Amino acid sequence: MDEPAWREGVKAATPIVLGYLPVGLAFGVLARRAGLTPPEAGLMSLLVYAGSSQFIAVEMISKGALWFPIVVTTFLVNLRHLLMSSTLSLYLNKKSLRTLALLAAQLTDESFAVAMSNRSKFAHGFAYLFGLQVTSQLAWITGSVGGAFFGGLIDHEGYGLPFALPSLFICLLVLQIRSPVHFWMMMTAGVSSLIFKATFSGNGYIVLATLLTLGIGVLIHRTGRKGIEKIEP
Amino acid sequence: MRQETLWIILGMAGVTFVARFLPMALLSKWSIPERVRLGLEYVPVAIFSAIVFPLLFFDQTGNFEIQPRCLLSALSVFAFTWKVKSVWGSVLVGMLIYWMLGFML
Repeated sequence: MDEPAWREGVKAATPIVLGYLPVGLAFGVLARRAGLTPPEAGLMSLLVYAGSSQFIAVEMISKGALWFPIVVTTFLVNLRHLLMSSTLSLYLNKKSLRTLALLAAQLTDESFAVAMSNRSKFAHGFAYLFGLQVTSQLAWITGSVGGAFFGGLIDHEGYGLPFALPSLFICLLVLQIRSPVHFWMMMTAGVSSLIFKATFSGNGYIVLATLLTLGIGVLIHRTGRKGIEKIEP
Repeated sequence: MRQETLWIILGMAGVTFVARFLPMALLSKWSIPERVRLGLEYVPVAIFSAIVFPLLFFDQTGNFEIQPRCLLSALSVFAFTWKVKSVWGSVLVGMLIYWMLGFML
């Protein structure tokens, strides 16, 4: 009953660990396929620790993209952390900046979801949240390094592996389509990315198409067309 | 470790940390404006579309080309995810169809 709070956090991380290990493995395999070494894949999982943006970076690296378009795309993908962080901050008053930095660095969609389902536990101290997040990230790093290691042993062109990343992105795209507006945003971004890619060299087309779509999305809302439900973090 | 890769990782880490830390550091003195919140809603769908569409219509060397193998695989994944909301299932279906189409096309 009177378990230390951090250990309760570790336990609460179990479902996240079961999810992160295999996805981390997949990330490692695909990172290796794109030419990253196991230490590089591990370092990315340690310092960046944001799934979708890591997969996107791997895809861009395999296409020969340089650091700038990759970093800007990562920035856009991870802007959604603003929402989660601002929600969590409501429960983290009176914590030192150093503690907050530690907690912020390991914030993910999944740890946020689990933490928000146990609000009373981390309201009292950060040990619970810390145990939850450290355990989750360890699973992610372990999976990444393991995947990158084993990725060196398998045939990179066999078994449909070249289509693994495109399949993942298509799946994540479909899961985002929650309303007709989202569908038209998809068409706008998709078609404009084709035009931008055909017009300009380099990998800037992702950022250009995203910003254009974003602008149109905000304009549509301003002219009063509803259809966007409240965001569930 | 190659220098370009290191810069990629450090840059990614920096911008991601800012998005995670800034609202906490400001300790809810600042709430996200509705307009920004709304824009953020469309970021994922826009980014994934901007990645996926060019993958399907440009070949490895960057030339515009209709690629039946990629398009058919993509449509299968699209339909599968639409019906069965499973990430692992979608990736496996995509790989399987792509692999099989390699023998047929």
